[in-house]
Amino acid sequence: MTKLFEKFRRFNEKYYFIFVIFLFILAIVVNYSLQANFFKASVLRGFAKSVLPVAMLAAGEAFVIIGGGIDLSNGAIVSLVNCVIVYLFGVTGNTNLSVWWVVLIGIMAGMMAGLVNGILVAYLRLQAFVATFASSFLFAGLALLILPQPQGNVPSLLNTIYRGNFLGINFPIWVLILTLVIWLLLKSSRFGKSLFATGGDAKSAFLSGVKVPRVSMMTYVIAGLFSALCAVVVTMSMGTGDPLIGDSLNMNSIVAVVLGGTLMSGGRGGIFGTILGSAIIIMIRQIISFANVPTWWQQFVYGVIVMLILAGPGISLLIQRKHYDRN
Amino acid sequence: MSKTTFSAKNVVKHFGGVTALSDGNIEIASGEVVALLGANGSGKSTLSKALTGVVVPNSGQLLRNEKPMNFSSPLDAKNYGIASVYQELSLIPRMTIAENIWLMHEPTRGTFVNQKELFNRTADLLDLFKGTISASIRPDSYVYHLGSDERQIVEILKAYSLKPSLLILDEATASLDNKQVDRLFSLIENWKKEEIAIEFISHRLEEVFRIADKVTVLRNGKTVAYSIPIVDIKRNDLVRYMVGEKSLAKEHELYSQERLTKEKTAISIHGLRGINLRGISVDVKEGEILGLGGLRGQGQSEMLLSIFGAIQHSGKIEINGKLVTFTNPKQAINQGIAFVPGDRNSQGLFSIRSILENLMLPSWEKYGTVIRMKAAVQDAEKISKSLNLVMGGLNDPVSSLSGGNAQKVVVGKWLLKSPKILLLDDPTKGVDVGAKDELYQLLYRLREQGTTILFYSSEDDELLNLCDRIVVFYDGQINAVLTGEDINKNTLVSTSMSSQLIGAEVEAK
Repeated sequence: MTKLFEKFRRFNEKYYFIFVIFLFILAIVVNYSLQANFFKASVLRGFAKSVLPVAMLAAGEAFVIIGGGIDLSNGAIVSLVNCVIVYLFGVTGNTNLSVWWVVLIGIMAGMMAGLVNGILVAYLRLQAFVATFASSFLFAGLALLILPQPQGNVPSLLNTIYRGNFLGINFPIWVLILTLVIWLLLKSSRFGKSLFATGGDAKSAFLSGVKVPRVSMMTYVIAGLFSALCAVVVTMSMGTGDPLIGDSLNMNSIVAVVLGGTLMSGGRGGIFGTILGSAIIIMIRQIISFANVPTWWQQFVYGVIVMLILAGPGISLLIQRKHYDRN
Repeated sequence: MSKTTFSAKNVVKHFGGVTALSDGNIEIASGEVVALLGANGSGKSTLSKALTGVVVPNSGQLLRNEKPMNFSSPLDAKNYGIASVYQELSLIPRMTIAENIWLMHEPTRGTFVNQKELFNRTADLLDLFKGTISASIRPDSYVYHLGSDERQIVEILKAYSLKPSLLILDEATASLDNKQVDRLFSLIENWKKEEIAIEFISHRLEEVFRIADKVTVLRNGKTVAYSIPIVDIKRNDLVRYMVGEKSLAKEHELYSQERLTKEKTAISIHGLRGINLRGISVDVKEGEILGLGGLRGQGQSEMLLSIFGAIQHSGKIEINGKLVTFTNPKQAINQGIAFVPGDRNSQGLFSIRSILENLMLPSWEKYGTVIRMKAAVQDAEKISKSLNLVMGGLNDPVSSLSGGNAQKVVVGKWLLKSPKILLLDDPTKGVDVGAKDELYQLLYRLREQGTTILFYSSEDDELLNLCDRIVVFYDGQINAVLTGEDINKNTLVSTSMSSQLIGAEVEAK
């Protein structure tokens, strides 16, 4: 019996994402039982649109967490980039700048914000938790300065792209596929190895010749990039600017990363799981609303479900041990 | 390949106010093995780390073929052809063996890592130790599944994979068993032919005499012997260089066998099973030092941890004739059992807390609910004096102590508690000769107080010198019990190696 559990534990360690896939399928089944038209193309398309911003933000967060850090400011970066983009469109949606330039500048702004985080954490050696919490106020404050209240319009081109199809697959799916491809390439590059090494054991990584500060800084820049991409997506779908849009997004992105099997302590995880984690979060929301949970209970039920899921692996370990003791 | 000579000249390094190295010198030419010796805290790790770029010296020169090398990180040192096996290992548990070995010099195809090549090259490297490591180890095994000996081997292969001109082996044999050490030494002979310069650090003098061509000795941060050919030096002289004239290790008094038969049984173990344990039965007398011998990882540590209630097990354990079942260490401690772990850094000490707190941790309750601090401090002072602790003050953090002194704290904290049974899990790993000796004295003192000691060591000599009886482990079972004249190196080694050998031995008798 001992051997069997040991085997199970090893299997669990090696194929940690199996738990996520199981949850993902379970969520789909429950969702389908409550919402009969779940598999209709238009419903799925809508679903992909709700997943996309969460997945983008969580993908960036995953890089940071795998590298051994944490980013509490990514929601604020979303607000900032959203406001920068809308501001550059001249609030009315008419500007001399081309749409692409505006988007590019927005993305650069996000990466700059990430760079600030990266320098604080990797080179000034501030605690990631404290540094990014503090910088989140900086970015949120900047967003409010740029755009004091929700306002503005964006060119219709952006919305057209957002609703568009290419080869019969709609825009959000394309973005997710692209993100995954980039992740797989990065993962099998030398940067990928040094990322996992840095998160796994920074000291050993340093002794092995990994440029630890640079890698850790890069993760924050990448997080900034993905936060900006999230902001672009949000701007495309809302078509307006809101300085508080990102406020509630940060914790969700962290939950998505953890649900996806990435270790909070770093060194293990990936973007595939993170995207599944984001999808699971959205599905739980849908399930709660389709199950006719009274509005004032929804937040509570959501909390309980997420808590149970996150505790799942630990509880199963406890049960295994109980079982072992009895033998 | 042409000859390359690496040297360090008059290297000085301060850490804060402490001078770790005041005059470090060493010279290693390609094709030779130079042993760097010294007691713990003599600065040999610091000197080696200066050569690998981990530590940046305050002054002094690092030379390659008489030309200065400038570097400030392991990456720079790597570019000069210097690779090191680090004492504390530089492996990342959640990565595979292959990923660890080739980290930052992976075989690539374009910008991507060539997975197949990575796997094959790693398999070739692992083949070097074929037969001495478990056959189930593959290049894509995760490092956290490996035992400490296998991790050590991966670390060695990782350094070798860099094709270095200078290879530094810092305590590379500390976790290896005899067979693995033999294999490593035959590999080193080959590497010498490949014109690799090798710096060898070990606490085991017999290894130094086996493999080194020259020795350099550090004492208190100063070079006291420089590149002396090994053939020109005797073991005793070497020890004298290391510890100075004053405190040479004494011959240990042997415990009389008659007394053992009189003493009553302190702990009786019957049919102990669990992880790595396949039915262990043994009785230990009061005041006895029982050695647990055998190759590394045959269940010795697991037996100690089981008795301590730290891991799950089945079987009967009786203490003073009373059946006990411990499911956690607290229960064991309440019954007067103490445990000294081998990995003092992660298991035995709270290194940022003060020496006082560490010494007092098991015995605070003796001083009342509101702690009578004065009495506690007095007792701690008494203990630290009797331990010969070299320290700034009781309120200094344990991290300020050298390895040997820190280990004395780990053992010493049980003195106040006078445990009935003391379990030691390879306590002298990486501890220098002087501190070891003091540790032995400590054990003798505990025994005088009636403490029963179960002692596992990876060093055979230590078991032979210290123990009244040795049980030899093999694959989770007791392979042989050595008493009296059988306590000698030949019997211990041959009974450690395999179960068949014993059969042969018994027949011969």
